[in-house]
Amino acid sequence: MLGIIRIDGHEIPFEPGDNLLKVALAADVDIPYFCYHAALGSVGACRLCAVEIMSDDPDKVPRVAMACLEPASDGLEVSVSAPAAQQVRQRVIEFLMINHPHDCPICDEGGECHLQEMTVACGPAYRRYQGHKRTFTNQNLGPLVHHEMNRCITCYRCTRFYQDYALGDDLGAMRLRNEVYFGRFQDGPLESPFAGNLVEICPTGVFTDAIFRQHFTRVWDLKTASSICPHCSVGCNILPGARDGTLRRVRHRPHPEINRWFICDRGRYGHQYSEHTARPLTPRVAGATITYRKALIAATEQIKAAGDRIGGLGSIREDLEGNALLRALLNNLNGIFSAFNDPELEAATITAVNRIQNSDGTPSLTEMEQVDAALILGDLTAHAPMIDLALRQAYRRGAQLTVLHNGPTPLTQFAVTTLPVPPHEMGAYLSRLHERITASPASKDVQDESTAEIAERLAAARRPLLIGVVETLAASEIIALAQLATALGTDARLAYALPGANAYGAALLTLASRKTTTILEAIETGQIQTLIVAGTDPLGDTRLGSRWRAACQRLNTLIVLDCIATTTTAAADILFPVAAWAERGGTFVNYEGRAQGFAPAFKRLELLPSTAEVIADLVQCLDLYLPDAPAVLSEAFPGYQAPVPGSAGSLMPVHPLPTHIDTATRSDHEHHHKHWQAALTTWYGDEELASFAPALMKLAPTATALISPAAALNANIEEGAQVKLRGPVGTMTLPVQLDNRVADGTVALTRMALVQLGVGHGDLLELEPVS
Amino acid sequence: MEAVLTRHLDPTAPLGLPAYQANGGYRSLTAAFDLKPEALIKIVEDANLRGRGGAGFPCGLKWRLRGTDAPRPRYLICNLDESEPGTFKDRHLLYGGPHQIIEAIIVSAYALQAERSIIFVRGEYAKGGNSLSRAIKEAETAGLIGSNIGGSGFDLQIEVHISGGRYICGEETAQINAIEGRRPNPRPKIPRPSVKGLWGQPTTSNNVETLVNVPHILLNGADWFRNLGVNGGCGSKLFCVSGKVQHPGLFELPIGTTARELIFEHAGGLAKGRDLLGFIPGGASTAFLLPKHLDVPMDFDPIAKAGSRFGTGCIIVFDDVTCPLQATLNLIRFFARESCGFCTPCRDGLPYLAQILTTIAAGQGQANDLSLLEELCAMIGPQSFCAFAPGAVMPLVSSLQCFREHYERHITTGHCPFDTVNKKGA
Repeated sequence: MLGIIRIDGHEIPFEPGDNLLKVALAADVDIPYFCYHAALGSVGACRLCAVEIMSDDPDKVPRVAMACLEPASDGLEVSVSAPAAQQVRQRVIEFLMINHPHDCPICDEGGECHLQEMTVACGPAYRRYQGHKRTFTNQNLGPLVHHEMNRCITCYRCTRFYQDYALGDDLGAMRLRNEVYFGRFQDGPLESPFAGNLVEICPTGVFTDAIFRQHFTRVWDLKTASSICPHCSVGCNILPGARDGTLRRVRHRPHPEINRWFICDRGRYGHQYSEHTARPLTPRVAGATITYRKALIAATEQIKAAGDRIGGLGSIREDLEGNALLRALLNNLNGIFSAFNDPELEAATITAVNRIQNSDGTPSLTEMEQVDAALILGDLTAHAPMIDLALRQAYRRGAQLTVLHNGPTPLTQFAVTTLPVPPHEMGAYLSRLHERITASPASKDVQDESTAEIAERLAAARRPLLIGVVETLAASEIIALAQLATALGTDARLAYALPGANAYGAALLTLASRKTTTILEAIETGQIQTLIVAGTDPLGDTRLGSRWRAACQRLNTLIVLDCIATTTTAAADILFPVAAWAERGGTFVNYEGRAQGFAPAFKRLELLPSTAEVIADLVQCLDLYLPDAPAVLSEAFPGYQAPVPGSAGSLMPVHPLPTHIDTATRSDHEHHHKHWQAALTTWYGDEELASFAPALMKLAPTATALISPAAALNANIEEGAQVKLRGPVGTMTLPVQLDNRVADGTVALTRMALVQLGVGHGDLLELEPVS
Repeated sequence: MEAVLTRHLDPTAPLGLPAYQANGGYRSLTAAFDLKPEALIKIVEDANLRGRGGAGFPCGLKWRLRGTDAPRPRYLICNLDESEPGTFKDRHLLYGGPHQIIEAIIVSAYALQAERSIIFVRGEYAKGGNSLSRAIKEAETAGLIGSNIGGSGFDLQIEVHISGGRYICGEETAQINAIEGRRPNPRPKIPRPSVKGLWGQPTTSNNVETLVNVPHILLNGADWFRNLGVNGGCGSKLFCVSGKVQHPGLFELPIGTTARELIFEHAGGLAKGRDLLGFIPGGASTAFLLPKHLDVPMDFDPIAKAGSRFGTGCIIVFDDVTCPLQATLNLIRFFARESCGFCTPCRDGLPYLAQILTTIAAGQGQANDLSLLEELCAMIGPQSFCAFAPGAVMPLVSSLQCFREHYERHITTGHCPFDTVNKKGA
């Protein structure tokens, strides 16, 4: 039952168990505070939220209490404006300002500083303290976060976020009295994938954005707009800030069901791709820079010449509008369209989206925080960092996590069971798990204890979550995971971390299966003369890059639209540089199937249209008639309405997807003693766009060949030894690093290494020691 | 009064297990195991044993409030983190004879039906803590600790935790954090540690001196214990007297003994020709008392009535050539240094007080400094998170009341009045 409290006469309803501060803030009644944070709760450290509470007994004097620690109770009379409460708040500010350097004019936080606001709102205008100020030495915390400890007001928010919430262990509170120091044991880059949130969680300028600092502007001069993070399929809501035609920083924008108060460091710092020096900014035809108009004319000629011998590749990181218009253009020209450049990824993504559409709905991040058990397939930290953070919250609430992984993944440190499974054996393992869950008790054999344990844990859970990383799973394994969810009953939830910000949307735009293979073969047989590629890099693909490179040699014209410099843009006959994400409006469909709109925060000085705008211009030059992107989309998805930027987004209508899915398992099963399975090992900064962010890339782990100690012993390889890897495309020599999180017979390699070798995740390669 | 707690204590040669048992040690175990735990708690309640750590909360009531249906495992923490300036009573118990502490813990843990006890020892008492650990091993080997002790069906494990060494670790909830390996900041008091304490389990914390009374109460009865006190007090007490006295030391005397008797009879009075300026009755975090309070019984309620706190019952004596401002500054500096740094008033307020006092002591005080000090103390005490800061400002608030003219003379004359006195004396 709801109760009512009165704060200075305002009647405010509350939920039982809430404290006064939470109740007041929810009702937009201001009570000053520092240490309270909705995500971190109340600790009562700063003592700023002092309020006066009337006693039931009119003869008793009111008492001053901390609103953050005082439970709301029905009929409570509270005053924020009472002189006694104001006095306490003024003293707290006076104390906090004793050692503060008053360096607002040169502080990056200025203009959005909670301490500044609270001091103006509550504090004395003049200082009385006449003594010395304490001085700290700052630390180098790496390329992302700048440290300025003298500004600290000791609210403990940083450690409460970093250690308690995000479960990091390399930043903490040290020393005592008025010398409490928040930092690392020694200088060095912060290790958490969520470290950048310190910048926003700190109420003053102790932790500031080190990238923003390099090209600083006052925050009130920033142009911002509601945007969506383009760096993975979670769809965190972000607020890019730009000035003078350059993007300066990215902050979180709260979405109540997705990222709420936080974003990951890939989302916060990956934006540097759009300011990268190699970014294409001028159209090119045959290697020469040219005006946009002339490039359009050149492309029009080539498209006309090709007739129906034309193909188009959309992208999992291209927005819904760009993909849809490209598809519409190709339909109009009787060409072939695919939103993928790898058939296996196409099959896996379509299968995953199909399963999500056939389930009762995939859980949001806030729902994931509430699960009590999870089966995790793959490295969520690298492919969907904020899902990792949501599962850390579930873990804090007691959820039991099980991780099946091919190589190292940070979530294993919070798991009850971790099982390294070679890529080729994942499907078989999931079948065993399925058998175990569905078998009658009598027939349950006790041979495989860990399988039994995992099965029982999932079966016993009230709300189990089954989640897989699509990029490192085959379509058959995605189906197997969905079958596990079905076997566990209606309370089980199913989710997939998809391979791109708009992978869901790309899948919905795929009308038939095996489109990618069709296009590739059509190019190889000369049936396609002109290929339009929008926002993807087929020529730089891990498994098929070399095949695409060879095939594209046969093309008459390769037309590429992108905002980063890739192998494909380098090979383009006609290149249209397009707007980066913060520079354009559009729509992404996240892993849940939630379409979210984003608006342009700014325009660069160069003419950089969006993909959809370039295609619309091409359509015009071709004298074709095509409806605009919203019309194309509502025709493709009946009931679809473009989501307004800044809104919560809307679920895409259920849409028939191609049902014929090639479930054949990976190509080569013959086992040769020299053959190892390649596994993609990656980290939270590894993503196509973010790999152009120089600061983030400074944290990239060095390239090694990771193998398990048992496999090393078997193959007589020692830690640090050089091994030669041979794939279908190339060879390379790497030092061996032993890691018991790598599955047997598996060698975990970076994306770069896979590209160089020409193998995909799960493909076989040869490995031999260099003598 | 015959010594009860200190009878067999000898810091130079503490009794080993056989000698301790030969002197009647561990007899209370049999007495305890014959009783139901609730009956034991009743005896402690009847004895009116009040907590000796400083707050004086009735021990029996604390144990009863934990509840017999508290979920298991339950913990008993023996607080031996004695860090209060002027207080050295627990040190004597530790170094004088560890087995008395162990016996007390076994009996108390039985009353609480706690299966694990942790003795939290001040870092500077590490040597004592190590011999306590050895004594625990001795007792374990003899079957006095472990499972099914003496066929009673009661299991107990006792461990020693040597503190990292900060004053705040003596605070009940900060101590729990310290034992858990966390930063020793105090925790919110709701839920209470008796409900959700160490590792989230029901936890009872008692000062070591409180606990060592329990076996004696059990063997001799509640009435015997109540009759040990004088002037309305119950039990025997370890008093310390330090400061400007001829024979500072530790004295076991009936609770309720007057400060006059303690200072002038047992501690040998002040040096010849010196008068008493005032004293602090219960450790550094209690208010100053004046010569007129010498005949107040040293017990919780009478001392509270006189405007101070009985605290640890350890007196610090100041004579008439000691500058009360300097003495208070010394205490405030101590507390400013020991603040854990968690809440604002304590962390940043106490150094502010120290800074103002330092200025006045240097003869550079301003006319409104004293009212500023009072204004700050009135906020720091009540508005901080735990009991540390209220205790820390207590000597300053009382010192400003008791010795105001001395403070004012520092400001008006621009120097310390006691400098001249001392120079004349020398």
